[in-house]
Amino acid sequence: MAPKAAKGEYIETDTGNKISRRSQIHGTQHIILGGKTVIQAEAVIRGDLYRLSSTAASDPTNPPAQPNTPSVAINVGRYSYISKSAVLRPPSRLHRGVHSYYPLKIGDHVFVGEAAVIEAASLGNHVQVGAGAVVGSMAIIKDFAVVLEGAAVPPGMVVPSWCVVGGEAC
Amino acid sequence: MSRPFPYTYVSCPCADTPVPDPARKRKSREGSQKQTPEQGEQTAGGDSKDSTNNEHKEDSDEEEEEEEEEEQTFDPRSPRSNFSMYPPEQLLYCEDCHQIKCPRCITEEIVSWFCPSCLFETPSSMVKSDGNRCGRNCFNCPICTAPLAVSTIESVTGGGSQQGPWVLSCSYCMWTTLDIGIKFDKPTNIRSQLQKMTDTTAAPPFDTRTRQGSRAFADLKSPLSNLASVDEQAGNREAPSDQHITKQDQTATPSNAEAQFAALKSFYRNQISETSTSPSDPLGSDFGFSSPGALNRLMSLYTSSTRLGSLYGGNKKAKSKPPVMREALTPSEGLRISATPNPDPVISRLRSAEGGWDGVASIAQRAEQSPDVRFTDDLLPLPVLLRTKRAKRCKACKHILLYPAAVTTAPGSPSSTSAASAPSPNPDLNALTPLRPIHVLLTLKNHMFDPVRVTLATPSVTPGRVASKVTVLSPQFDIGANSDVWDEALQGASAPLTTDPKLRAAEKVPEAGKVWDKGRNWTTVVLEVVPGTLPSSDADAGGGDGEVRSGAGSAPAQPDEDVLEIPVFVHMEWDAEGQLEQQDVGKASKPDDLVARELAYWMVLGVGRIQPSF
Repeated sequence: MAPKAAKGEYIETDTGNKISRRSQIHGTQHIILGGKTVIQAEAVIRGDLYRLSSTAASDPTNPPAQPNTPSVAINVGRYSYISKSAVLRPPSRLHRGVHSYYPLKIGDHVFVGEAAVIEAASLGNHVQVGAGAVVGSMAIIKDFAVVLEGAAVPPGMVVPSWCVVGGEAC
Repeated sequence: MSRPFPYTYVSCPCADTPVPDPARKRKSREGSQKQTPEQGEQTAGGDSKDSTNNEHKEDSDEEEEEEEEEEQTFDPRSPRSNFSMYPPEQLLYCEDCHQIKCPRCITEEIVSWFCPSCLFETPSSMVKSDGNRCGRNCFNCPICTAPLAVSTIESVTGGGSQQGPWVLSCSYCMWTTLDIGIKFDKPTNIRSQLQKMTDTTAAPPFDTRTRQGSRAFADLKSPLSNLASVDEQAGNREAPSDQHITKQDQTATPSNAEAQFAALKSFYRNQISETSTSPSDPLGSDFGFSSPGALNRLMSLYTSSTRLGSLYGGNKKAKSKPPVMREALTPSEGLRISATPNPDPVISRLRSAEGGWDGVASIAQRAEQSPDVRFTDDLLPLPVLLRTKRAKRCKACKHILLYPAAVTTAPGSPSSTSAASAPSPNPDLNALTPLRPIHVLLTLKNHMFDPVRVTLATPSVTPGRVASKVTVLSPQFDIGANSDVWDEALQGASAPLTTDPKLRAAEKVPEAGKVWDKGRNWTTVVLEVVPGTLPSSDADAGGGDGEVRSGAGSAPAQPDEDVLEIPVFVHMEWDAEGQLEQQDVGKASKPDDLVARELAYWMVLGVGRIQPSF
């Protein structure tokens, strides 16, 4: 292992994640990084937008989901790469009149390009998101899919595996 | 070439040896007899046709060329080689023919249909009856093609079970079905609900399944149209249409485009069967309208001067003359007259402020909709088009080369070895200095589970006017089997390897007869390349830019002539378990006998672009 510099650009965690000191990570207790994941400078990870368990508990039809464990807002797998100034935001939805957040799950070996905005419900394994792409809320991107640079994936879209998405909807 | 340097292309042997495809052979025979183009069309796809065309062209001069071509080195610049070169990832290997298969030697067949939105597979029977659209709740926005979501109108926070009217809404452009005044009672089975709403007719038999309804409708209609054409044959042509329309309008009128299509289809089918099975035309029953007999008959219709007389005269001649195919006359036969006889309201709406340009559907939007949709208010949500999963078969032996499993799995990698090249001292590949030797590292990787012996051969001087010298420093080497990845990791632990390849490259010196590097299932060898000088560079010394202008004595430089491409002949041998042969013999042979296999192909390495020397 390389000798750890006292004031390096990156903080390395026990599981081998490398996180830039200049990244903006909010709500760290709601973020899970699988290990060997790199988060570059100026990336924004919004772990503070987790699902409030109180809203789920207030709903009588739904049993409250694990009241004690902190709810996970963002789950990133292993060997994933979050480039400079990319934004990871948990998706949100207006459900039964309540605006609530849902977890964002990112698989292994995922590449998120520069200044991309990810608001998907899930990115599968080996997904590539090009620079400047916007993945809308609650989108599901399956394994090995490629989102081209500057593409806009509309909210709620499902991208099957091995597909390439580009351009904008309109 | 469009790829960045360095690149590799593999030449598929199919360009020189035509694939023994029975369908294609028959087709070429027919083509030589100058028959109608409709015949022999069961081979799907346009590319197969292209390949046959190419074969046609090549057939003539192939006989002369064949002998000399056998021994010639592959020229990547010859116009013919352009047809055979493919990047390695597009190639497959047929285990039956023991040959490389390019996209031209492959037929595709549809294994299943699935919806890209809900990822459910649709059985082929459903696709045939319901069309290739998702039958669930998957819809695309007619305005922006983004997926639509089912949501309630009642966004009030309610405890309790919520039943409200439901709508489809687009969260990309904020369009909802409320814009066209559609609400749904249930959040499920939206497609049939929508179909019920858009079926404007109040016809009783169309209940739950509209498609079934339309089919029943087609059955109901066919005797009527039979009757109509019989009427016409009898010469009853004076005032038939009005009566028919008034009579049959009440019984059944095709409501939507699908029903109209079904009506037209059954109408034309009846017409074809009635006009072609007449006794005067014995060929008609066998070949239908695409046969030359039918063509003769049609031509004779125009030449015979008594045709009109036979139509209007009476029944006496109608027997002898072939019946004439007519067009649809009534709505029940699929005739459709423009819905707006009076265009004024449409025009005034186009000119009005609230309609106007924004209210008019674009061409892209109208292309997906029924033909008389003109305004955005008429656009309907589109059920998602299904996609297919396809298997790839060898054209020659019908062996399945690639079979898609689930939606999420990877397509199989080609089992033959693929190669990639990388230069060692990292010069600028877009500006190689002429006559300065460079070393190119060529890594060959083995994806098979048997070790492979490889022999590489290159012409010592590349073909073409720019003669670059090429030497493979170790033309014969072995590549290990594609074993477990853990083997390499465990071996690597025992023998410490330097981690930085650049550092190692700096220390190493390429040596003749020795491989550069070797791993679990890959081997790297060195090619020494001396780029040649561009032909016109000495004549035109002032050409500072990359474009080489034609000198006084030499011919003008072709585009891309400065690209250094090295043809490499790869020959590999391995011992495979002869499973297929065992089955043929009948399990008489020993279980562990090995069959020697070999594979040989030409490959082109695009190394870089040679700089014009000054």
